[in-house]
Amino acid sequence: MRNILLALLLLLIVLWHLSFSATRLDRLHHRVETSWANLDGLLQRRAAVALEIARSEMSDPATALLLTAAAYQARDADIEFRSAAESGLSGALGLLLTDVGPYENLSERDLLRELSELTDKIRIAIALHVDAVTRTQMVRSKFIFKTFRLAGRAPLPVTYEFEADVL
Amino acid sequence: MLNKSLKIGIVCPYGWDTPGGVQNHVRDLAEFLIAAGHQVSVLAPVIDESAVPDYVVSAGKPLAIPYNGAVARILFGPIAFARVRQWIAGGEFDILHLHEPAIPSISLLACWAAEGPMVGTFHAAAKKQKAIFAIGPILEPVIEKLSARIAVSEAARSTLTEHLETDAVVIPNGIYASRYTNGTPQERWMGNTLGFIGRFEEPRKGLSILMDALPIVARFAPDVRVFVAGPGESDDFIKSIDPQLRGRLEFLGRISEEDKANFLASISLYIAPNTGGESFGIILAEALAGGAAVIASDIPAFDSLLGGGRFGELFSSEDSTDLAKRIIDLLRDDNRRKALARAGKSHAAQFDWDVVAEQIFSIYEMSMVGGTGVRLASENRSWNPLRAREASSAE
Repeated sequence: MRNILLALLLLLIVLWHLSFSATRLDRLHHRVETSWANLDGLLQRRAAVALEIARSEMSDPATALLLTAAAYQARDADIEFRSAAESGLSGALGLLLTDVGPYENLSERDLLRELSELTDKIRIAIALHVDAVTRTQMVRSKFIFKTFRLAGRAPLPVTYEFEADVL
Repeated sequence: MLNKSLKIGIVCPYGWDTPGGVQNHVRDLAEFLIAAGHQVSVLAPVIDESAVPDYVVSAGKPLAIPYNGAVARILFGPIAFARVRQWIAGGEFDILHLHEPAIPSISLLACWAAEGPMVGTFHAAAKKQKAIFAIGPILEPVIEKLSARIAVSEAARSTLTEHLETDAVVIPNGIYASRYTNGTPQERWMGNTLGFIGRFEEPRKGLSILMDALPIVARFAPDVRVFVAGPGESDDFIKSIDPQLRGRLEFLGRISEEDKANFLASISLYIAPNTGGESFGIILAEALAGGAAVIASDIPAFDSLLGGGRFGELFSSEDSTDLAKRIIDLLRDDNRRKALARAGKSHAAQFDWDVVAEQIFSIYEMSMVGGTGVRLASENRSWNPLRAREASSAE
């Protein structure tokens, strides 16, 4: 009788731990989703700002062409090509900013300030997203998560490769 | 960006009415956010509930517990946990900001109890401890819940990476730089003067290292004087030092913010001989903002704050001969001392609350994307009805 009770207690503990772990993993997946949503939103905003810069007076026709193309590519890219397209946009913006002069025009200065603020935020957003992804990957590779398939059918999140130095 | 009014809940793990860097940080941040139009509630352990500002909610009386080489006034246990849950349930917060959630405290309890957008700030820098292998597995699932982690310095960040294998965004501690930038130099503190601010009785603040360096400095600069500001029993300290040095030493006691600004503008050199236990060095940032040339020990926190020596001189920690040498060099070289002070002053602008709070707020915004606000974690569990009864009887 005592053995049965003990076994029952053990089973309960195991069940509790499984439920706890599943909640934990679910929360991590949620974190990956929200941090991606945040990063995605910021990147969209950056593309919009890039388009505005392309239309403004500070970019010559060639730069405008390059920027517009890069911005549209970044916006329309499928998820697997997204980081390459975003790096392309970073490169195009970098080209523009290296030979940027002292702009007197107020709206242009506003645009550039918005761009640099966005760049700072994107950098942080990438760090947050990468942390969430690596955490999730780490947890999912643990024994009980694999054995009991606690992740269900959720796809394994992939790290968003972003070359921080071109930002 | 500070235009949408939010309900922000901040948890301070240490006793509100005991002095300390984390408490000051929380108080300044809360007051800055309130001034920016947000609704802020701070949950903290409190000794005297009648003496706290109205944005502070007491979680009970703190217990004195030895932690990280000092006595920490923190709080945990079932009653504190019930209070934390009550505070979260009643607060309807948009975001929770937990300070130092990796120590046994109400911050950890709040992280355990809550679900939703949460930001954690890690203040402490500590060497890798063996115990972390034991507590790591307990902490990990809890710390994982934070949507963003902030470290106040590179030292705090590497502590976090080593202990919990997780990365953090570095946002420095804030100071009200404008309070210190316009000090008027006072005759009584000018000349070949060295300044020290802090609780000088604590050995880790390193005043004794400065005292050991003083005889050497006095040989080369006969008129050198030392001013020590900060709370503490100066009589005991004076008895412990060489009688010949006593005349060069003056204790000012606790000084007002205005006097502090004047003090920093007057002295020739500010000395920070701390031997460790510092994660950021708020007083150094204030000294830089006040326009003082700084000599500090090369502990990691000071090294990174002073840009490896660009914004202040570094001496090898606990080496009073090296300290003496650098004091003499800088007292003799007016140009270099002034250049150092100027570089430091412009460097300190990035620690101003205007800059720092903006960065913290943008982390809040990022954490709240798609957020539903903060609620109790137990509300969406299957055995909820059972827990609800238990919780209501506990309150």
